[in-house]
Amino acid sequence: MRVTLLIAWREYLENVKTKGFWIGVLLVPIVFFIIFHVSSRLATATPTRYYLLVDQSGQYADSVESAIRREHQRRVMLDFMRYLQENRIESNSIQISNEPANQMDQLIDDFSNDEVAALDDWLSNGGLAFALQMSRPYLRADTPDFEEPRPQFVAAVPPPGLNLNAPPEQIVETLRPFLNGEQRLQAGDNQVSLFALILIPADVGSDIVRPAPVPTGMTDDTSPRGVQYWAGNLTDTRLSSAIQTSINNAIRQQEYTELNIDVDAVRDVQRTRLPVSRLDPGKVAGDEQVSLADTFRQWAPMGFVYLIFISLMQSVQYLLSNTIEEKSNRIIEVLLASVTPGELMMGKLLGIGATGITTIVAWLGSFFVFIRLYQTVETAMIVQILDVLLSSDLIPYFVFYYVCCYALYAGIFLAIGSLCNTLKEAQSLMMPLMMVLVVPILTMSFIAQDPNGTMARVMSWIPLFTPFTMMNRAAAQPPMFDVVGTTILLVVSTIAVLWLSGRVFRQGILRTGQPPRILELWRMLRKRTN
Amino acid sequence: MSSSVLSLTNVTKRYGEFTAVNRINLNIPKGSVYGFLGPNGAGKTTTIRMILDIIRPDEGEIEVLGCTSAMQVRSRIGYLPEEKGLYKKMKVWSIISYFATLKGMHRKEAKLRAFELLEQYGLKDFANATVDSLSKGMGQKVQVLSSIAHRPELVILDEPFSGLDPVNQEVLEQLIRDLKNNGQTVIFSTHIMQHAERLCERLLLITQGNKVFDGTVDEARAIIPRRVILECQNDLSALADLEGVLSVCELPVGSEGRIEGTRQWELYVKEQTNPQQILQHCFHNSISLSRFDFTQTSLHDVFVHLVGQEAREHNFR
Repeated sequence: MRVTLLIAWREYLENVKTKGFWIGVLLVPIVFFIIFHVSSRLATATPTRYYLLVDQSGQYADSVESAIRREHQRRVMLDFMRYLQENRIESNSIQISNEPANQMDQLIDDFSNDEVAALDDWLSNGGLAFALQMSRPYLRADTPDFEEPRPQFVAAVPPPGLNLNAPPEQIVETLRPFLNGEQRLQAGDNQVSLFALILIPADVGSDIVRPAPVPTGMTDDTSPRGVQYWAGNLTDTRLSSAIQTSINNAIRQQEYTELNIDVDAVRDVQRTRLPVSRLDPGKVAGDEQVSLADTFRQWAPMGFVYLIFISLMQSVQYLLSNTIEEKSNRIIEVLLASVTPGELMMGKLLGIGATGITTIVAWLGSFFVFIRLYQTVETAMIVQILDVLLSSDLIPYFVFYYVCCYALYAGIFLAIGSLCNTLKEAQSLMMPLMMVLVVPILTMSFIAQDPNGTMARVMSWIPLFTPFTMMNRAAAQPPMFDVVGTTILLVVSTIAVLWLSGRVFRQGILRTGQPPRILELWRMLRKRTN
Repeated sequence: MSSSVLSLTNVTKRYGEFTAVNRINLNIPKGSVYGFLGPNGAGKTTTIRMILDIIRPDEGEIEVLGCTSAMQVRSRIGYLPEEKGLYKKMKVWSIISYFATLKGMHRKEAKLRAFELLEQYGLKDFANATVDSLSKGMGQKVQVLSSIAHRPELVILDEPFSGLDPVNQEVLEQLIRDLKNNGQTVIFSTHIMQHAERLCERLLLITQGNKVFDGTVDEARAIIPRRVILECQNDLSALADLEGVLSVCELPVGSEGRIEGTRQWELYVKEQTNPQQILQHCFHNSISLSRFDFTQTSLHDVFVHLVGQEAREHNFR
């Protein structure tokens, strides 16, 4: 035992002392921070897009422009809400975890409706100026001024010489160099590029699609129909969807009027809703309301599966490279004159296992430091999510499955390492195992959605997948039979794998030359060494 | 009477059809310096690995320091393998101390011992350097030190001199003598006969897994007759009748350093023969010698004599 610990300690120090280890440890929180920071700033950093609206029908220009204005006002409102939450006097009053998830639903529901009540209120109350005035007494003394976001979509001035009444094809041909970025438009003193052209032909009314009892079938005509949206950028769909929504709203308004339907009544009907209470039968009576925290708890196992996977990947690298270093350097022979192969293998497993745990602890530590130093609305939410997780029963599951998963795979990888003289040789032997390891990651989200489904249950009984799959299912109260059965199977197979790996390790570690063929490996597994 | 620290009885190791070590018997007395000699692939390293219980013999018995397995007494044995290697990122002192602690030494004591050895053998300035900054020879010295740091009773060094410059070979020879003076038993394998000649009391010579010689250095020298080279203008074949002379033959023309018009003769004489007798005989018979060359038989000659043919065949196989 003493030598096992000595070996483990040396392995641990060897890995922990390397620069690569600390780069790996620090890189994850740094990348996390950057992604977090950038994504929350990205919305405001999007450049201003210039568009050109040519409405030959004369019916929709106002709707589109008002939709774009509303879109801007919506952003102003959202930014202001954020500003208000960050700077209000008692900043800890954002209660998320125990609020029924329905409040979130209400908000999402409202936003997805075409008429956003909050935005209407905001606009009818006088917008930003009024909100600023109202909120001033509730803000902290050191609050910075609110910066209104720049409009994202600005109407461009048509280039001189463009005949707005020309046939659509001609307009497109004239503007094509601008859309392709070959020419630039004049906007004030600046040259700007044209982001999109919205062309509404005069005869657009004939393209309106109405539900018909019999499908009209495909036409041979491939020319564009309806409103034409020309843009080189296909990924930023905000403008195109705003236009589509606004024009369709305008058309529907027209239809209502033509059919003598009361528009206000329709609007009210559209905003009518019946709340759906999401309840969990597994919780105590009176507390069955599914909170946001519960939802997080359901999804959290996926995070743990990822954590196991990443940590395992890191440990495997260390196991292989250290074993192969000892083998190719022939240090192994000196070691074997001092310790038994079993002690050596256990020392390695322990030392590198401790390295993996150090990584996880360092990640969590830096994560906590990060959310302490960088307090925003989002991080306040993360703190609450973390509190939920740490107090949940998922942690013991995580610890158990982490340890088993590590021992199971590390045993196999150590055996592989003992058979190879170079990393290159090891990589070809590792390949099948890597394919196996990818499976739980690929199926992770399916299993989270259907944690007690057939696929999840079958995979739980395959020992190589058990730690991942059962971790994935942990929050969904899998049947006791599955939990106990797979645990026994997992522990037994882990012990068996370690025992067999020990055999291969003992024989492989002094081998030179090519890695063995399958038949030779089979002989190694069967051969008694003592 | 010194007791035995290591004994091998009919030890055999086979790898499939190939017999690496064939029925080797050996007895190594305590406190001796013992040389394992043999050509490449003779089975030296396999024998050493079996002694250390890194691999098991297929047949035969091994007794090390009174136990049947070296693992039981591993803390009393020090081992330097043939292919040297160290952890590249470790510091010199810590690697010596690490191997000493693996052998049961206390951590603090091991550290002190590491510094003591480094100072004693001229590596003090490199104590805090990492192994990858050392030259190959220095790395090898560090590895030798790490194999003896825990003061083992039995030290086994596989090819300790390979790769060392002449100065460091001297240092290593001194180290082996120091070990002997401390009463420690040293076994080392080598190709370089001069080291064995200078250091060993006893030798084991193996080739193709078979023991061909086991005994003292003098006994080894006695295996091949001593050689005398004579150079003159006369026919010396009559010297064959002289007492103690085993054979006389004329060396072919073209030998190096021969004076124009002379003939060169090679005589093999018995171990006890005094070469002065040959000189006197020539003098009495008015044979004018231009060269009289009598050299002590070297281990090198013994080695070549015993295994030369087999080693050559082995190399060209």
